[in-house]
Amino acid sequence: MAVVQTKQEKESEDCSLLPLVHDIIKCIDKESQDIHQELNKLRTKIQEAREQISNMPGIDTSPEEQQQQLASLRDQVRTKNQLLQKYKSLCMFEVPKAS
Amino acid sequence: MAEKATKERLLSVLDDLEVLSRELIEMLALSRSQKLPQAGEDTQILDLLVQRDRELQELMDVGREQGRVQEEMLLLEKEVEKRDSDIQQLQKQLKEAEHILATAVYQAKEKLKSIDKAKKGSISSEELIKYAHRISASNAVCAPLNWLPGDPRRPYPTDMEMRSGLLGHMANLPTNGVNGHLPGDALAAGRLPDVLTPQYPWQSSDVSVGMLPPHHGNDFGLEPPGHNKENEDEVEAMSTDSSSSSSDSD
Repeated sequence: MAVVQTKQEKESEDCSLLPLVHDIIKCIDKESQDIHQELNKLRTKIQEAREQISNMPGIDTSPEEQQQQLASLRDQVRTKNQLLQKYKSLCMFEVPKAS
Repeated sequence: MAEKATKERLLSVLDDLEVLSRELIEMLALSRSQKLPQAGEDTQILDLLVQRDRELQELMDVGREQGRVQEEMLLLEKEVEKRDSDIQQLQKQLKEAEHILATAVYQAKEKLKSIDKAKKGSISSEELIKYAHRISASNAVCAPLNWLPGDPRRPYPTDMEMRSGLLGHMANLPTNGVNGHLPGDALAAGRLPDVLTPQYPWQSSDVSVGMLPPHHGNDFGLEPPGHNKENEDEVEAMSTDSSSSSSDSD
């Protein structure tokens, strides 16, 4: 559990843009020549975040809608399991194979 | 009101972050170059930037959770597909069983109808046996047990037997007939001599009279037509023989 939380924290920190903005502000203060590099980094980071968002599965719906779909699927599986169980418990006839 | 999809919200927040960070950087760069103090706008922008960044992180967490739920949903969908195929298979088997049962029931009903029909038109076994005996008495369905190749007996009337019969005797009678009448007239009038009365089993037409034995015996010989008396003797010998091949088979 602690490992999962640490991983989540790391992932959250990865998508934060504040450290890059902070670095840019520092470069402005120091009038450093690295400011262009930092700006490129920020631009790249934003682009990567956009791509990551596009590739994430399951976010085409809101969480509530997704929960409804999940409940519906679970209901279907339960109903079909019950139906199959009911048919299997009936008296089945042996179908002779065509010779 | 339907909530926005997580993807839309994430992209929106990301756009806001981009705009805010650009504004902040431009403002700071301008203030640095012009050496003018800002009116606190940069603080506001910074606050907004921090807020949007926090929102982005929260939404990213929500998105990751939705991704995990999506995986579970994919597994459930596969399970649903499998159940569907199981149900279809079961449905096919039930249809097949129904077809087989329907066919069996139909055939059983047809058989019951046949049984009822047979019971209504039943025939006594004694009558059937009598007919069978009569049919087989002339050895027309099976050769006699002592028949060997070379035996002149046949299951059909032979030449000699035909000549010995009515037609053969009609050919031998005088053409002006008996007492002015032709033999055909005598037959029609019912005054045919006894010797010309048919004695062969296949010529007999009265079932109730009883069976006539078909034994043509050893007296049979090939003779040219015209020896009527001898033929008559043979006919009498054949008619008096009381053996019956059908009763020998017991």
